[in-house]
Amino acid sequence: MRIGLVLAEGQEARLARAAEAHGLFGVVAGLGNPLTAINAAIYASTATEFVRVVVRVKLGLEHPVTIAEELSILDNVNNGRTIVMVDTGQLDAERAADEIAVLRESLASRPIQHDGPSWKVPAGLPANATAPKSISITPKPAQLDMPFWVTGPAAAEAGVSSGLPAVARKPVQIKQPKLVEPGLATISGKLEPDRELVTAWAAAGVTHLFIDLPAGADLEQTMTLVSRHLAPEVLMPHFPRVMSESRVPLPWPGDGHKK
Amino acid sequence: MRFGVGLFSLQNTAMLPAHWAAAYRDMREYAILMEELGYDELWLSEHHFFYDGYCPALLPAAASVLSVTERLRVGTGMLLLPMQDPLRLAAVAQDLTQRSGGRLDLGVGLGYRDIEFDGHGVSRKQRLPRMLAGLEILEAAEGSGGTPIWMGAQLIEPVKRAGLRGHPILFSAALPFERCKTLVKVWEEGWVEGGRPLDAKPALGALRNIWLTEDPKEREAARDWVRASYVQYAGLGWTLPAVGEHEQADFAEETDKAIADTVETTISGSAEECIRQLRELEAIGIHHIAFRLMLDGAPRPALESQIRRLAEHVLPALRDRVVA
Repeated sequence: MRIGLVLAEGQEARLARAAEAHGLFGVVAGLGNPLTAINAAIYASTATEFVRVVVRVKLGLEHPVTIAEELSILDNVNNGRTIVMVDTGQLDAERAADEIAVLRESLASRPIQHDGPSWKVPAGLPANATAPKSISITPKPAQLDMPFWVTGPAAAEAGVSSGLPAVARKPVQIKQPKLVEPGLATISGKLEPDRELVTAWAAAGVTHLFIDLPAGADLEQTMTLVSRHLAPEVLMPHFPRVMSESRVPLPWPGDGHKK
Repeated sequence: MRFGVGLFSLQNTAMLPAHWAAAYRDMREYAILMEELGYDELWLSEHHFFYDGYCPALLPAAASVLSVTERLRVGTGMLLLPMQDPLRLAAVAQDLTQRSGGRLDLGVGLGYRDIEFDGHGVSRKQRLPRMLAGLEILEAAEGSGGTPIWMGAQLIEPVKRAGLRGHPILFSAALPFERCKTLVKVWEEGWVEGGRPLDAKPALGALRNIWLTEDPKEREAARDWVRASYVQYAGLGWTLPAVGEHEQADFAEETDKAIADTVETTISGSAEECIRQLRELEAIGIHHIAFRLMLDGAPRPALESQIRRLAEHVLPALRDRVVA
């Protein structure tokens, strides 16, 4: 299992830099205000080079073609590091699945012509006389196929009908695990309980766990806990703890060499 | 006067291919350079569903620039308001304004392509009512310390409406000087009709095609890049309608003439000549100049050189005539 970091609202750049410096694989932006989630993800993206940037996208707040266009810009800003965490919000599973379908078809590398229970794209409105029957949303994302995960009240059902992983909130054993099974958890900042926590998530079959840091925690100290103890603990079976518990190598004292 | 560069539209064109991710990276690097050189503003432009990826989502693009700069303002020139949910847009803009220390300028326009409305499920017939309803929401946010609003317009009615509502305009580079002069007067009439004193008006802006060079070969190349950059308007189907004694420029139907006429708007020559023509714009009330340098066919070394050259030889001469 790999560990990522939940980014607090308004601190995305600083926390994403810390996550990357500590070797985490990814970050989640936009779990606060859903309206401004893509701004948050952009700030995390330009502050980093390597971490995957998961952006929460709450459905039902804007036309999905507009959202797809914004996601494509995000993916080009971070050169293909985007993962979309779709939040079903107030939509039922059928409407959520239809909106997810528009998003994914919009980001695919062929023109879209969608006629579903909630959305018709292009709309084919009589006043737009010269509009063609299909459109191509551009630019295309930097990556081949943007990963989508599902969260929210209708996540389980919409995830099944869309064939997408649902984000787990508890480490319940996954019966038929997919290659990717994401989860969200909060750590305490204390070594033993947090070791138990991440171990339980790994044992349940989760592959990518995003952790929320405890409120008021010292960032450097907590990130060191994560990168030195928690992430290695779940990256291999039977992690030899001597690797994280032995004395920390001395820092470089500076260039004292005399010529 | 204040100076910027535009229009950043992040395209991968048939004539100047580029990876889209590289275009977004380049924009951030241009922005950092512009900030170092003392530019004030960077302007973005929006279209949808075009083969070259013409930027369809300006606020994420603006966020990417604002997140790597500290002083440079970023303007949308123009964001097509009728195609967006104005409440969400106001919230996103407000968030960016707060994150950036108030450096976002929200320029809004109507849009004109049927396909762009249809792809977003909006009837083109509804574009004006949607624009006006959206403006009310953005204006309410602006009034409570939110994002400053700019407008894009080329015709009498909408230019006057912008003045009446108290919003500055960024004029298209395709407008010849005399047409800008006419429209500035129209805007001022609107401003005064809105019950405001003329001496309290905000600075207006204009995009200008410009290339500082005394080398005839470079001048020829630059004018050709301006030509190439307007070919896209033929592809997009843009028409600049007639206004008063000013002729229409129909890029879709009279492509060669419209493009040739527009190339003639280019300010080109020595620093003294560029400064002289920019002072003419200043004299009619245009105090924000966005150099339209992101031209189809112009390679990055040429653009960087031009950005540096204008900063070194033109900006200092006009900055001593500062208008806030």
